[in-house]
Amino acid sequence: MMKKKIRAWFEKRFDLKAIEQPLDYQLRKPLPKHISWFHTLGSMSLFLFLSQILTGILLLIYYRPTAEEAFESIKFIMTKPYMGWLYRQIHAWGANLMILVVFLHMLRTFVTGSFKKPRELTWVIGVTLFILTLIFGFTGYLLPWNQLSYWATTVGTEIAGAIPFIGEPMKVFMRGGAAVGGETLSRFFVIHVIILPWVVFFLVAIHLFLVRFQGMSTMDPVDKEKEIKKGEGIPFFPDHMVKEGIVWFVLLGILITLSILLPFELGEKANPLKTPEGIKPEWYFMSMYQVLKYFPKLIGIFVVGLAPLLLFLWPFLDRSPNRIPFKRPISMAVGVLTILSLLVFGILGTLSETKQTFFGKTYEFNIYGVPHVINTRGNSVNHNNDKQHK
Amino acid sequence: MRIFILLLTVILGFGPLVLAQNTPKNYCISCHQDTWQDLKNSIHGKQGITCEKCHGGDPTQPDKALAKAPSTGYIGVPDRMQIVQICGNCHANVEAMNFYGIRTDQLAKYKTSMHGKRLFENKDTRVPVCDDCHGYHDIVDIKDPNSPVYPLNIPKTCNRCHGNKALMKPYGIQTDMFQLYKNSVHGKALFEKKDMGVATCVSCHGSHGALPPGVRQVADACGKCHMNEKDNFLKSVHANLVDQGKFPQCIACHSNHGIQPVSVHLYDQACVKCHQPQSHAYQEGQKLKQLLSSAQQGLQQTQALVQKASIDGIFVEDETALLEETKTKVFQMEPLQHTLSYGKVAELSLQVNSQIKDIQNSIHQKRQSLQMRKIALWPLWIFIFIMVTVLWIRYKQLESSRKDKH
Repeated sequence: MMKKKIRAWFEKRFDLKAIEQPLDYQLRKPLPKHISWFHTLGSMSLFLFLSQILTGILLLIYYRPTAEEAFESIKFIMTKPYMGWLYRQIHAWGANLMILVVFLHMLRTFVTGSFKKPRELTWVIGVTLFILTLIFGFTGYLLPWNQLSYWATTVGTEIAGAIPFIGEPMKVFMRGGAAVGGETLSRFFVIHVIILPWVVFFLVAIHLFLVRFQGMSTMDPVDKEKEIKKGEGIPFFPDHMVKEGIVWFVLLGILITLSILLPFELGEKANPLKTPEGIKPEWYFMSMYQVLKYFPKLIGIFVVGLAPLLLFLWPFLDRSPNRIPFKRPISMAVGVLTILSLLVFGILGTLSETKQTFFGKTYEFNIYGVPHVINTRGNSVNHNNDKQHK
Repeated sequence: MRIFILLLTVILGFGPLVLAQNTPKNYCISCHQDTWQDLKNSIHGKQGITCEKCHGGDPTQPDKALAKAPSTGYIGVPDRMQIVQICGNCHANVEAMNFYGIRTDQLAKYKTSMHGKRLFENKDTRVPVCDDCHGYHDIVDIKDPNSPVYPLNIPKTCNRCHGNKALMKPYGIQTDMFQLYKNSVHGKALFEKKDMGVATCVSCHGSHGALPPGVRQVADACGKCHMNEKDNFLKSVHANLVDQGKFPQCIACHSNHGIQPVSVHLYDQACVKCHQPQSHAYQEGQKLKQLLSSAQQGLQQTQALVQKASIDGIFVEDETALLEETKTKVFQMEPLQHTLSYGKVAELSLQVNSQIKDIQNSIHQKRQSLQMRKIALWPLWIFIFIMVTVLWIRYKQLESSRKDKH
């Protein structure tokens, strides 16, 4: 009764059918039959983005973006407000998971060739969203104003400063001065909570519109895609939505479990006069950071800068009409090599400048990630000298 | 301009010559070269105070006989009584010392000291005079670490005489003070930690006015640093015995030169010197000991608890702040015990115990809360499992209905 009354009220004012019909069409529009669980990665990214918005708003209630108060305000959030610790941990874990899930979503798109004509623009927006997610992570990492975040940001902005011509002014602009300080915090805060959320929101809206408007990609070759007739594919609603509901629940469980069992520690307050040992960026920048060590500054930045450029241009470089992975060997080889190099350099970066014990032997990894056996006294064992003596 | 240049040339050219002519030549140096080496680097030498100020004579005379002529007031090597007077000529002169900001009561104090009295009243020249402690030709500022009266050197300087058995025998003074002091809490702080704020010989006995503190002055001597202990002691039942000369204040329990770090076990060792173990006084002491032990142990345990919680990633700022407050109260108990008032110490002990309990409860609650979070994962995953199962069944239903349609 009430529902009818509300509907009648709206019908008198708006042409509801004109709105409902395209909405209903989009909702019932069938998806290709090959749609798998991997196709829920996009909605998982959306779920995490929404979770970040919600927990971010809660954090904003108590967070103070000044060098004097930032650390204390986070400590306050973690100890005083009801469930403050939980939404802070969900926000921190959500940021990490979001980068991982967005990357996996992009990887799925790459493997299934969904980025190809006519969906190049959706891919370009997707790559932009991935880069913006990384910037989200970079700017958000500084906000707790602890030692790790402070020095990781110092290293990060220093790398950006090495870019020819624009690097130095860009570094000063980002930092708001010569060194990372209160001005940097203010800038990163504004970027993190005002600029990025809105830019990402609009890009996600365009991305989703394009996905719905152009439809999900089939595995048919480019220009030979057949329209999926009603009753042939899988209806988006309720079939696919139910599937997404399942992953959303599981993701929520994972997020809360990680927040409780592996909480992010706040550490020590940022101290510009005390540099901690072996300072490293977050895991998602680790491979890039490691690659930079092997090249002279400018060449390193060029090599690292090539990766996002290739990602943007990939739909225009890979001109083969095939979408099936087995029919795109070069493309797949490039993809596999990229994943492997990310893993290898990421591991080398993590191990570099650390001591690790494997099978009873202690190894010291230098900045390039090369291991050296060290004896019990903590001295590096030089094998070449040993051989010469023998 | 030319006149100006001419004047400048005259001043720069002949100035040093004029100044050199104004400083009379010291002919003492020609024979006493080694003494001059010591004197010129001393605090006096640097101020232009030379031979004739102490020895008399006329250093400007190149002829030895004229330089040491009786009319010049030449005294040669001053005797011990003369030394005190010669030093006092300047150091007791307010006008002369005002420029250097040095006090001028040393001579007056020395005359009141045991050393001074023996010298002036008994004509005993074995007692130390100024140069025995400060040196003479090579005398340096007392703030100079090379000075024999620099705080780190004082015990050794005093021990030069007070450790000399032959010298001390006629006075009947013990000679093991330095050894006792070296192994005492004060001596270890001075020699091992180089803590120059710690008590040395002069802190208790005075320097120029050196006297052994009498029975009634012990608390005053110790109280210079241990003010709260002294104030509380004066409120105790023992303070009444001091007037009767029956209780030598602080040293009765703590001893003097060989004083050791104190602990609650002193109640077992010191009280029995005067009280029977069955006596009421001794039992009162044991009750105080119990209060202090329990507060100190409680504090130690709570410190460890807070530290462990901090290592485990629990925020303990509030507990740490409260712990500092508790620590202060435990420290306050230490001087307060000198009142020997069970009531006063027990009142503080109650506050300490209450705060320790608050801290322990707070840490316990935080640990419980962390545990509860982990327990809460079970209902969460049960809920998720139910929801996922329901959705999965629905998904399978939709899938089979789609297949049926085909």
